[in-house]
Amino acid sequence: MISMIRMEFSRFFTNKMMYILLVVFMAFQMFGAFMNAQFETISPISGQNVVDITQSEYMQMILAQSPSWVMLYIGIFTVSFYMSEYNNGFHKNFISMENARVQIVIAKLLVLGMFTLLMFVIMIFTDFVGRAIFFENTNIGDPLNFIKIIVGQFLLHWAFVAVVLCITMIVRRMVANIVITVLLALNVIGMLLSALESLIHDGSITSYLLINTITSPMDYNNTGDFLHVIIVALVYFAVATAISVRFKQKEDLH
Amino acid sequence: MSDILIQVNQLTKTYNNKNSVSDANFSIRKGDIFGLIGKNGAGKSTLLKMIAGFIHPTAGDIRLFNHDVDSNHTYFERIGVLIEQPGLYPYYSGYRNLELIAISYGLKDKETHINKVLSQVGLEKDKDVKVKNYSMGMKQRLGIALALLGNPDILILDESINGLDPEGIVDIRHLIMELNKSGMTIIIASHILEELSKIATRYAVINQGEILEILSRDELLETCEERIELEVDDIKQVLPVLEQYLDVQTYKVMDSKSVHIFDTHVEVQQVIKLLSKNELSIHSITKHKQSLEQYFLERTGVESVGVSND
Repeated sequence: MISMIRMEFSRFFTNKMMYILLVVFMAFQMFGAFMNAQFETISPISGQNVVDITQSEYMQMILAQSPSWVMLYIGIFTVSFYMSEYNNGFHKNFISMENARVQIVIAKLLVLGMFTLLMFVIMIFTDFVGRAIFFENTNIGDPLNFIKIIVGQFLLHWAFVAVVLCITMIVRRMVANIVITVLLALNVIGMLLSALESLIHDGSITSYLLINTITSPMDYNNTGDFLHVIIVALVYFAVATAISVRFKQKEDLH
Repeated sequence: MSDILIQVNQLTKTYNNKNSVSDANFSIRKGDIFGLIGKNGAGKSTLLKMIAGFIHPTAGDIRLFNHDVDSNHTYFERIGVLIEQPGLYPYYSGYRNLELIAISYGLKDKETHINKVLSQVGLEKDKDVKVKNYSMGMKQRLGIALALLGNPDILILDESINGLDPEGIVDIRHLIMELNKSGMTIIIASHILEELSKIATRYAVINQGEILEILSRDELLETCEERIELEVDDIKQVLPVLEQYLDVQTYKVMDSKSVHIFDTHVEVQQVIKLLSKNELSIHSITKHKQSLEQYFLERTGVESVGVSND
């Protein structure tokens, strides 16, 4: 297991696309802060000018925007990371090893978790620097709330990666997978189901959809909201991982 | 029984209700170079992929090293595999591709292992070149190096000499022979029958998913050997005459009425003339000369006609 994880991390850290995506993301986040300062954007969460809001609220606002750039970046990286191995047939060199089919799924989830973490580090760092430069505001708000947002959103995004990986493994087509990832990041399905639900009844079943949870600003100091986030993240992660592992074990590798 | 490394029983693989491999039964002994022969789409790769653990059989079972692999997948690890195209990252060097696999195997002294296999396939000088700049032959060699990396007991090579230049084919042939001498069992599928005939010790002919025939190297050579097949009333009367007048020395008595004569200096006309002169009747006499290629075309061709008539 450790050997397989080491191999995947070795490939990850020599993956040029990973560094390019992080640099491009950093540049766009900085540009976003600049544009928000220029046009006096109003936060949809508190109704304040974004230059006056805390880092915690700013992060929630960024993650709730459609399309979600973080989801797009991590989704496309997930598709690319898996499909490059699959299309080149590199898996044929190690898949015969005992438990390799299970281990490779877990190793990939760990690598993609690392990429998600790096995206969050870049996002927090760039937002902090960008806000300091363009907003002249470095207030992060309640530190505990800030940490809860990071933890909750990180877990949700990692679960999103697990879902994208699962779909990628089953679909096995680069273009089709990218289209699906874009549709997920745009939350097309979530919005459609939410609209349908509002027509039928006033329930909140669709609030348990993964991407609806990611894009809905919540009060992370409220235990109910925080638990909602954690449970949604863990359930989606566990189900997607279980399906991926089962699929990989049964898959005929040509 | 203990020297049987691979035992395949009633192995079947079905795609869309069509058998890609049906009821394959054979065993491969330690030290064999097992040649798998068949046309494109005959089921060679599917069969090898099942043995390598890439695809799951629809029915039947595989025993590796006298163990059922359904309950223990560890035995697949002792097989080095190169099936069809080698699985390589084109933007990494040859060395880097090998390094990744060495890491996944958890090899301790990976540099030594990698340099050893690179040397075996003759790629030491090009190890730092990106794979996208490799020729077809170099990629095949790197694929063989990857298959050898875990120091396997069994090596499966499917069309592994495709794309190699004549010199490369000779090099790989020597490598296969060397590996076999060191105790490695090798399964090799190829279209290049002449090449297979030089190295394989046993052969299986596969067509439309069915194993038609399994034969040893000696049986194959005998089948393809030039000979006169003679059928008479009583072989005991004929043989002394042939020995005395035509100097026939190399022959094989098949039964009380037939004999195969392998002396190449003897002609059919001479035999007819001689036996007629001695008033010995001939039931049939034929000159048998068949190339390896003709032999396999005949085997697979007959089957094809049979199926198309159905």
